[in-house]
Amino acid sequence: MFSTTVLAQVVVNGIGLSATYILVALGFTLLFGIMRVVNFAHGAFAMLGGYALYYVYGSFGVPYIIAAPLAALLVATVALVLERLVYRFFYQKMFQSMIGLLGLDMAIMFTAVMVWDSHERSIPPTVSDILQIGGVIVPADKLIISGVAGAALLAFYLFTKFSRYGLAMRAAAQDMEIAEAQGVNTVMIYRLAFFIAIFMAALAGGFYGQTYALSPMMGERPLMMAFIVVILGGMGSIPGAALGGILLGFADSFLATFYGGSVSVFLSFGVVILLLIFRPWGLMGTPES
Amino acid sequence: MNTSNPSSTLASSGLPPGAVPRPRRTPAGAGTFLKWAAVAILAALVAAPLLVNERFFLTVAVMVLINAIAAASLHLIIRIGHVSLAHAAFMGLGAYASVLTVMKLGLPFGVGVIAAFLCPAALALAIGPLVLRLTGKYFVLVTFLFGEIVRMVFVEWKGLTGGGNGIFGVPPPSPAFLDPRAFYYLSLGFAVVIIGFIARILTSEIGRAMDSIREGERLAECSGVPVLRFKVLVFVLGCGLAGIAGALQGHFVRYIDPTSFSMIQSLNLVVMNVIGGMYTLVGPMIGTIFLVVLPELLRGYVELQRVFFGIILIVVMAFLPGGLADAGKRVATLAEKRFGARSRP
Amino acid sequence: MKQALVSIAAAASLGISLLTAAAPARAQEELKIGVIAALSGGGTGWGLGLQRGVQLAIDDANAKGGLKVGGKTYKLRQVAYDDQYNAAQAKTAAERLVNEEKVKFIFGPVGSPGALGSLPVTQPAKVLQFVDGYAPAILKNEWNGGYVFRIGNSNQEFAEPIVKWIKQTMPNTRKVGMIAPNDAVGQAAVPILVNAYKRQGYDVWIEYYERGSKEFTPLLVRMMAQNVDLFELNSNAPGEAGLLVKQARQVGFKGPMIQSGGAGVDEIIEIAGPLAEGFLKYDVIDAGLPRVKLFLDAYSKKYTGILNGLSPVYYNAAHVVLEAIRRADSLDTTKVRNELEKMGGWDAPVFGKVIWTGKEIYGNDHQLFHAFLIKEVKGGKGVIKTVVQSQ
Repeated sequence: MFSTTVLAQVVVNGIGLSATYILVALGFTLLFGIMRVVNFAHGAFAMLGGYALYYVYGSFGVPYIIAAPLAALLVATVALVLERLVYRFFYQKMFQSMIGLLGLDMAIMFTAVMVWDSHERSIPPTVSDILQIGGVIVPADKLIISGVAGAALLAFYLFTKFSRYGLAMRAAAQDMEIAEAQGVNTVMIYRLAFFIAIFMAALAGGFYGQTYALSPMMGERPLMMAFIVVILGGMGSIPGAALGGILLGFADSFLATFYGGSVSVFLSFGVVILLLIFRPWGLMGTPES
Repeated sequence: MNTSNPSSTLASSGLPPGAVPRPRRTPAGAGTFLKWAAVAILAALVAAPLLVNERFFLTVAVMVLINAIAAASLHLIIRIGHVSLAHAAFMGLGAYASVLTVMKLGLPFGVGVIAAFLCPAALALAIGPLVLRLTGKYFVLVTFLFGEIVRMVFVEWKGLTGGGNGIFGVPPPSPAFLDPRAFYYLSLGFAVVIIGFIARILTSEIGRAMDSIREGERLAECSGVPVLRFKVLVFVLGCGLAGIAGALQGHFVRYIDPTSFSMIQSLNLVVMNVIGGMYTLVGPMIGTIFLVVLPELLRGYVELQRVFFGIILIVVMAFLPGGLADAGKRVATLAEKRFGARSRP
Repeated sequence: MKQALVSIAAAASLGISLLTAAAPARAQEELKIGVIAALSGGGTGWGLGLQRGVQLAIDDANAKGGLKVGGKTYKLRQVAYDDQYNAAQAKTAAERLVNEEKVKFIFGPVGSPGALGSLPVTQPAKVLQFVDGYAPAILKNEWNGGYVFRIGNSNQEFAEPIVKWIKQTMPNTRKVGMIAPNDAVGQAAVPILVNAYKRQGYDVWIEYYERGSKEFTPLLVRMMAQNVDLFELNSNAPGEAGLLVKQARQVGFKGPMIQSGGAGVDEIIEIAGPLAEGFLKYDVIDAGLPRVKLFLDAYSKKYTGILNGLSPVYYNAAHVVLEAIRRADSLDTTKVRNELEKMGGWDAPVFGKVIWTGKEIYGNDHQLFHAFLIKEVKGGKGVIKTVVQSQ
């Protein structure tokens, strides 16, 4: 059972799993880090991204390289309306945001059920090829997803580290009042952060819909995974989200392959609970001051 | 490992400022009015089944009462500043404890109820000292995961719990209780005793200590309140009482399974408290009626209901932190101001 | 404080008055047919399937002028309540149907929680109920079947014949791998199938997953390391089954795959795409038969989306029940029940000969048995490979 082929397969699967987890967790942690909002509706936006891709790519046949970002852009733009209507009442109010956004999640999810019916659909994959690299089987679409996730992470990191707006975002995250005093337009920064976060969630949702299946309830699972990843890595920390995603993805792959499904779930939950009790700010977060 | 903040628990968890209860100075006259109002409502609840002897009405009424007990027990925990997303799991523990005591050990319902209290209370006692140190958001997350773990244990431990298929053919407390009217009075009895007990606690010294803990832990600690021990006590009590509600449900529906005590039910209990009002016992009562009766009126439009609930949650959390109870109070105060002013000569 | 009390009193009295006013008088010529189904949440696919199947049967009867019973003609109307796949909700829904709406015939719930939650309400009230769910307690209970019938094949009925067929057509297979959901359905159905395989001399490897998972690659890699010859999908829901098929092929499993159980094959084909080629599936409807085609046309005319496998089952059952009512020439449920029990052999619209079975296992013959098929996916469509009749 512990042969090299199996181990290699475990690693490949781990990369695939980590990529999806990171993409969803990034937006989630961004919203928390900057606006102190726990976005329980994050999964719902991923779901909307999936449906957007379903129509743009599946029904209208726009070439994939344009369709994927376009679909995510559409969802993020429409979401800006919700930002004005709902989110701005919850900035810096963590507790209210949890429950209020839970309500938003319910509202979006069940509106989706009314519009699209609850049965599962699938979005055609980009490529159906299955590559074989030295005895290890790699479906080509997994490679694409991992690639895009990696690119998104890199772009994001560079943006926050080096661009003016990225720096402004980080300043706002550290201390809003002082950032405002320095001339940073917090309202605009919040909107920018929100847009980016939802864009990534919607992108992830599209991939999710292609790899697995699309239904109004599909966002719940990515949301739970995002939660765990972000707790592992530290809420508000971007490198933390990446680390958490990789850890969870590989742990999941390893444990499930060698010990079965329930062991994997029990162990990951158990570890997260212990972490929350003894080190709630995660591996790379900062303890609240 | 102390993870509570130097600043108040209230501010760090982002609880709305309106949550601070003002000291209530009720004028002498209001005291007797309150007593009469309570008696009137109780009389109405006792008389209702005699006037409306319809099974459907009685079934919904029983579900309202059971949920009211569960929501009130969660209210205790919310009043110390912790929102638990695992409450339905504790209900489930009580349900399984009672059902197994009655069916496998052949003991009477009364013993089952005691088991239904002790079992979740024991678990709460075990994990309380660990998780109650956490601040607002972390506590929510831990209870979220914990609730899931308990549910999975229900599903996995097939030998004891019947696994995913649950336990069917649960006997009623006694054959007389197959009549919904009888069960209504049974649950009414439990509800009055338990909710009355909770109300008593909340208006006593203990209640004031609870509020002080919620508003500022460090300050409460300095005032001599043994914060962690206190919180554990309240948590244990709240979870135990939830277990009793679970037992009632088990013997009423006569079938229990893990899906009856999952995240959905935990969320419903939290929503009842939030929508109704988190800082007064009346809140979960209003919330229960809202959440249990409204779906019956809107049957056939379930998705619309859920969208509606979602929007109400948003509105309440954004503008009405005290929930509907608070809204009612505000409307009444506004009305009093307007009409009170007019009546002055 | 007093405002609060007033608000409770107001809410309570509002609630009471609304509930009691909930049942206005009904026109005499109308017969209400009750439906309890999961119309929200996870089980909605099944619930909708049930509801639509019953509605189409009702439409058929109304198109012919209604149901003629005891000299009167009744227009049929469906009254459906959501049980949210939950026992307590099913109980409340049943109470409402039985005591408020005064319904005598109820279709559903689908799923053991709902079925078991509603039985204690309908059985003492002598209301006929037609359910689907894997728990044996549905038929084997204190009322000994009584007024409940199970109208979908449970795998008690089809496990053995399918395994025998596999042994015949794939003689080189020795070891079977199964991946099953760890929920009520999985826990009830899997042991039956496992025993059927073991009785025919197979080695069985099985692994469970938590409902909600979508990523099965680690489990599939684990399965492949066991060198299984045949991948059996047993009672997986269509969404998960489609993903299992797709991911199994993506991970490199080359052997045959079959699902002994579950619902229709179309959803699986949609999700797995070209990777579903060669997949074998238990199914109940033969789209080639003219009478089935009639049903399929009626369905696609009225409803959008992929046909849910429960619709033909409930359409069929509803017709059986309506016929029993006609034969009893009465709405008295005991008389109708007796007629139902005698209807073995009647030619039902979709599934043909009615067969009641189950006495050995449940103590009563209230389990409906359909002939079923094994389909193979060829060129993106489910093609019939063989038809399995009753023993």
